[in-house]
Amino acid sequence: MSEKLNQLSFIIGVFFILVALVLLIGYLTTSSLKHGINLYTGMAMMIFGLVMIKLKA
Amino acid sequence: MNLHFADYLVILIYFVFVVAVGVIIKKKITSSNDFLNSNKSIPLWITSIAFISANLGAQEVLGMVASGAKYGIMTVHFYWVGAIFAMVFLGVFMMPFYYGSKARSVPEYLFLRFDEKTRALNALTFAAMTIFSSGISLYALAKLLEVILHWNFDLCIWIAAGIVMAYTLLGGLTSAVYNEVLQFFLIVLGLSPLVIVALQDAGGWDTIKTNLEPQLTHAWKYMGDADANPMGIHFMSLIFGLGFVMSFGYWCTDFLVVQRAMIAKNMSAAQRTPIIAAIPKMFMPLIVVLPGVIAIALTKSALDSGDYRIPTDATGGYDYTMTLPSLIAHYYPSGLLGVGITALIASFMSGMAGNVTAFNAVFTYDIYQAYFFKNKSDKHYLNVGKLVTLFGILFSIGTAYIAASFNNINDFLQLVFSFVNGPLFATFLLGMFWKRTTGHGAFWGLVAGTLAAAITHGLTIAEGKGGWISPIYPISSGMGQAFIVASFSWMANFFTTIAVSLVTKPKPDEELRGLVYSLTEKVYGTEKRWYLKPAPLGIILLVITILLNIIFF
Repeated sequence: MSEKLNQLSFIIGVFFILVALVLLIGYLTTSSLKHGINLYTGMAMMIFGLVMIKLKA
Repeated sequence: MNLHFADYLVILIYFVFVVAVGVIIKKKITSSNDFLNSNKSIPLWITSIAFISANLGAQEVLGMVASGAKYGIMTVHFYWVGAIFAMVFLGVFMMPFYYGSKARSVPEYLFLRFDEKTRALNALTFAAMTIFSSGISLYALAKLLEVILHWNFDLCIWIAAGIVMAYTLLGGLTSAVYNEVLQFFLIVLGLSPLVIVALQDAGGWDTIKTNLEPQLTHAWKYMGDADANPMGIHFMSLIFGLGFVMSFGYWCTDFLVVQRAMIAKNMSAAQRTPIIAAIPKMFMPLIVVLPGVIAIALTKSALDSGDYRIPTDATGGYDYTMTLPSLIAHYYPSGLLGVGITALIASFMSGMAGNVTAFNAVFTYDIYQAYFFKNKSDKHYLNVGKLVTLFGILFSIGTAYIAASFNNINDFLQLVFSFVNGPLFATFLLGMFWKRTTGHGAFWGLVAGTLAAAITHGLTIAEGKGGWISPIYPISSGMGQAFIVASFSWMANFFTTIAVSLVTKPKPDEELRGLVYSLTEKVYGTEKRWYLKPAPLGIILLVITILLNIIFF
C-alpha cells in the first residue's frame, strides 16, 4: 500500500474517484444535485480515476 | 453564488490531497538536492505535465478566457504562435546546454557561460519577480473568492498560503511538481464540461461563426491591417513580438518552467519534456480560449439562446476578467460548481507554488550559496532551502497585501516583468550560439534591453497606459503595445551584446565546452526509435501547429 501511495497516478486516481463519488452519490440522493451534467462528469471522472489507478508508475 | 455541502466537500478533498502529497513525499527528502531539485529523478510524463501546469496559473486560465471574449479566436496565437515553436526549440536546441552543463538553475548557467555579475543580475530580478508573481496569484485568488463567494479576504489569503506552504515545505519541488500534475488534470476535467454545455447552448461552433463578427472567429485573416482586427496589431508585430521575443524569452529562459525539464531523469527525458508538454499545450485553447469566444457569442443579442451575459464593471463595459467565474456560476449546478471552484483555486495555487519553488532554488543556489556561505554542509543548504520557502511564502503574503492596497500595482509589476524578461532571450541566443559573446556583452545587453523597454513604453500609449515620456505613438491595444515594447528591448539587447562583446575579451574555448553550440559534441540521444527522439517529435508538432493555424486562418 505504501508503495502505491508513492505512485502519483494512484494518488490522482483516488482523488478523482472520490470527487466522482461526491457527484454520483449527490446526483442519486440530493434533489439540488440531480442534473445530468453531474452524472456525466461523475462517470467520466470515475473512469479516469480507475484508469489512473491501473496505470503503472 | 452559493455553495452546497457537496461543493465544500470537493474543495475539502482537494485540500486534503495536496497536503497529503507533501506528507508522502517528505519521507524521500534527505538532501538539498532532493528538496530544491527533486534529485533529477522525476519521470518524463510528470515533468511534461508539470512543465505546462507551471504556466497554468490564474493569470493564464482567467486571462486567456478573458482574452478569448475580448479578442476572439486570435487569442490562440498565444499557443500556436507564442508557445509551441519555443517549446520545441527549447527541447531540441537549448536543453542539451541547460541539462548537459549540470547547472542547477538558469542563473547558474549564466554564471558558467558568462560571469558572476550576469548571474547576479538575473538571479536578483528573477527572485524578486517570482515573489511578486506569487503574491499577485494569492491576491487574485482571495479577491476572486471574496467577490464570487463572499468569503473573507484575509482568511482566503492565509488559508491558501498555509496550504501551499504545507506541501512545499514538506516535500519541496517534488511535492509542488506532483501537485501541479494533479492540478492540471483537475483544471482540464473540471472545465471541460463547461465548454461542452456552453457550446451546446450557443448552438455549436458553426452558429457562433455565423453570428459573431468575422474578426472574432479568424486567427489570421484580418491581421494584414492593424486597424482591422480586435488586437490592433499587424501580423509582423505578432510574429516578431509574440512569436519570437516574448515566446522564446518566456519558454526558453524562465527558470519557473525550465526547472521542470531540468529535473528529468536523463538528457533524453529533459529534451522531450517541453516537446511532450507542447501536445496538451496545443489543445489548451479548447479549455481556456473557446469559453471566452462562446461567452461573447452568448452575450451578443444575435445569439439570444439563453440568459448568460458577461458581467459589466462600474463603467458599464464588459468585465472580461469575470468571464470564466460567471460562466461557471451560470452553467454549473451544485456539485460540479465545487469542482469548477476547486479548479480555479488549483490554478491559483499552482501558480503560487511554482513561483515559490523556483524562488527557493535560485535564492539558495545563486544568491545565498554564491555570495554568502559557499562551503557549508548539504544539511545546511537543505535547512536554508526550507527557511527560504517559509520566507518566500511570507513575502508573498506581504506582496498580496501590497497588491490589495494599490489599484495599479499589478499592472505596474507585470510591466516591470516584461521589461526584464523581454530582452533575456537575446542573451541566451547569443550566449549559446555565438562563442564570441562575453560576460560584459551579456550584462550590458541586458541593461540596455531593459532601458529600451522602459523608453519604448514611455513613448507609446495604449488604452491609457504608457506615454509617460511623451505619448507620440498611439497603439490601439495594450497587447499590441506589449509586443512592440518586447521587440525593441530584444533588439537593443541583441545589438548591444554584440557591440560590447566585439570590444571585450571572450572566455577561452576550453571554458566554453558544453555551454556553446559550436564547442559542444552533438549528442543525438540514446533512443533508437524515431518517435522517442526530440527532433522528429518536434517536427511533427510544428506541422500540426501550422495545420491548426491554417484551419482557423
